[in-house]
Amino acid sequence: MRHICLRWLAASSLLIAAIGASGATRPRYGGTLRISSAAVLDSLDPADAPDSILRRNLTRLLFDTLVVVDENGILQPSLADSWTSLSGGQRWQFTLRRGITFSDGTPLTSDVAAASLRKTNPTWKVASQADVITIELDAGVTDFPAELSLSRNAIARRGDKLWGTGPFVVSQWEPHHRLALVARDEYRGGRAFLDSIEVEMGKPLREQNIALDLGRTEVIEIASEHARHAAAEGRRLVNSSPTELMSLLFMRDARSDAEQKLRQALALSIDRPLMNRVFLQNDGEPAGGLLPNWMTGYEFLFPAEANQTWAKQLRTEAGQTLSWTLGYDNDDALARVVAERILLNARDCGLNIQTTTASSADIRLVRIPVKSSNERIELSELVSALGISGPKLSNSSSETVYNAENSLLQSRRVIPLLHLRYVTGIGVNVQNWSVGRDGSWDIPQVWLSGRQ
Amino acid sequence: MLSTRSSSLRTAYATLVVLLLCCHIAWAGDWDATEQQLAGKIIAVTGTGPVAIEVTNRSSLGQADVDAIRRGLFEHLAGAGFKFANADSAAAKVQISLSENVQEYVWVAEIRKTPVENPFVVMVSRSRANITGTSRDLPSISLRKLLLWSSDSQILDALVINGALPRMVLLYSAQIQFYRLQGDRWVEEQAFFVAHSHPWPRDLRGRVILRKDRSVEAHLPGVICISNSGSSLSISCREGDWGWPIGTDQYSLNAAFAQSRNFFTGAFSPAIGKQDAAPAFYSAAPIPNDRGNSWLLAAVDGRIHLLDGTTDTVLNKLNWGSDIAAVRSSCGARWQILNTGNANGEEDTVRAYEMLGREPIAVGQSLTFPGVISSLWTAPDDNGAVAVTHNAETGKYEAYLLTMACGQ
Repeated sequence: MRHICLRWLAASSLLIAAIGASGATRPRYGGTLRISSAAVLDSLDPADAPDSILRRNLTRLLFDTLVVVDENGILQPSLADSWTSLSGGQRWQFTLRRGITFSDGTPLTSDVAAASLRKTNPTWKVASQADVITIELDAGVTDFPAELSLSRNAIARRGDKLWGTGPFVVSQWEPHHRLALVARDEYRGGRAFLDSIEVEMGKPLREQNIALDLGRTEVIEIASEHARHAAAEGRRLVNSSPTELMSLLFMRDARSDAEQKLRQALALSIDRPLMNRVFLQNDGEPAGGLLPNWMTGYEFLFPAEANQTWAKQLRTEAGQTLSWTLGYDNDDALARVVAERILLNARDCGLNIQTTTASSADIRLVRIPVKSSNERIELSELVSALGISGPKLSNSSSETVYNAENSLLQSRRVIPLLHLRYVTGIGVNVQNWSVGRDGSWDIPQVWLSGRQ
Repeated sequence: MLSTRSSSLRTAYATLVVLLLCCHIAWAGDWDATEQQLAGKIIAVTGTGPVAIEVTNRSSLGQADVDAIRRGLFEHLAGAGFKFANADSAAAKVQISLSENVQEYVWVAEIRKTPVENPFVVMVSRSRANITGTSRDLPSISLRKLLLWSSDSQILDALVINGALPRMVLLYSAQIQFYRLQGDRWVEEQAFFVAHSHPWPRDLRGRVILRKDRSVEAHLPGVICISNSGSSLSISCREGDWGWPIGTDQYSLNAAFAQSRNFFTGAFSPAIGKQDAAPAFYSAAPIPNDRGNSWLLAAVDGRIHLLDGTTDTVLNKLNWGSDIAAVRSSCGARWQILNTGNANGEEDTVRAYEMLGREPIAVGQSLTFPGVISSLWTAPDDNGAVAVTHNAETGKYEAYLLTMACGQ
């Protein structure tokens, strides 16, 4: 049993690596944490798209959800302290915790919570009475509460301003540029250790590195392809589990069996382990499936290795050639080298692909961040983010999700390439910084030591 | 007192620990239902064979568990009339992978009836919850630890009350639990809810002490709870700005706790000589000496301050943690200072020191704990300390009684 625990610890060491940096010294209250990010936000409303790791993490600072999913994937109460399902998971009742207030001091009521959920989910029938919120779905879903842990379902009171129940409140907000937050003394989970947070957005990665070196920021993003180099330079890094899928997305369904075979040939031609080794210095994972193995436990069923012999055979069986264009974000250095490698692999198998940075392309190289550690929800979110059709799942059993994922892969609309980690670089005075499996920060637990 | 009559208690505690561990192991090793489920799914596809089976471990399970699961699966298959074959003569091949995800163990069987066709996949899963590790051997050093209790909830402090019927009190954020020692185990006697109108601060702290009238007093930020000293238990809690007793039975000191933080403000009473205030601090320990008592403070600024009644001296180059406690023993200078060390997140240490003038000198080796120590307070009668650690392997909070053993 000890062996089990040690191995499990090793597997999750990335997640808890930062904890050890704090030593036995008790957390210190006070200070301002400065965070730099290349991403930008134009709205703080959790209902607004698109989702990103930055948006999700900032949303968690300002708002709460009815339930949360912990690091072990287990549902825990948050604004709701209990819930029950009726009618085979088609009707759900959530009882609100009492005594919760928004940051302007007004109490959280079931009416406000229901209105918030209705705005984000117009198709749900949401009713409120006393402390209870009732949600009716079109069909029964056994683990529906996990869906309410998504950041877009965070509870907000919308009026002339936006109010949340989270551990911080906005003190300054310049869309696309800067966000300043201050800690709420009365937060139900206890006041955060930090006094305030300043987030600078739209900052290129190179500038973030310089700012950290000059002591002008405490937290920066590190491109996954630069993580190994940054670690070698002595940066304090905190990695998540793989939280981003890099994949190829065909912009339309295959129109013939021959095209299906050519798409399968392309999938088989790609040397993902080499990409991971060369471009990511083994810091990512070759992706055979859409969902990472830490989430499903079955990703190994989808081989990530190249099989050029089979690819060539399929290309021959197709009996025709197609010329595809592959589009990618020209500002994304990793996407550029991955696209170039795909071209080489494809040509070796007699497939014809041209790269393009134009918006119209037959295939796009896309990066999709993980939104939930619940495999059923994540597959649904992935399907939605890719803009493809997928099955509606009513439960999270591994077999059900595997069959759905297998169907998606067999449709040949999407070809998984790599699972990428979310990497942050932190200053020497940042203590207790941790990144969850899904890339989430636990900032209320972060504190600043006197070290510079 | 505790050290002179502790052998029977130790036996009781040790037995309790063993019982708990046995329960863990028995639970963790019970794979039968999952084995049966997977065997059933395999047979539904292959029939009774002949089939070649291979088992691969892709999870964090140890070899002993993998071997047990393999045996169990084969027994269930054989019990259903399943015929095993080697790969050459088999009608189908089954590749079983013991995998896992964040919540569950996922066991996958890929069934191939011909080499070229896509495999038929069946899988079963079983929750990983409550599958935990084992304990470590107690090191034989001069500082000893004895596990008092282990809990999923955060233990803030623990108190063992000696007497004809020993009691244990555990302080949690939401309640105070009383236990009686019955035979070889602690049995819950009563639990009292701790009411509070304000949210608890992060890094919540608390202390429970035994008063001279044998009543129990629990301190949490802005809340004090006091039990009656009669035969029937009851507790009343009040909110207010109460000073916490931070010293020992013999050398007492009351200090003001910052209610929405995790430290003492620096105000205390009675005064230490001419000093009645200090920098904000996390913990304090008395140093009895011939000229009157000095006190060590583990300050919020990370430094250790020595208050001798007139001057506040910072002791440099001490790599101490933020929790210190004084312990009276029959060893060495009779009083030792215990302090937490520099944890690496998965382990923490407590080490005993004696003061040589203004310099702390380590006595004995440090004692290792399987997680960061979140609480360290002097025990009743001053002849031990209670440490609470958050076990990094199991995720449980564990309260330990620490005692000094001479000459070992």
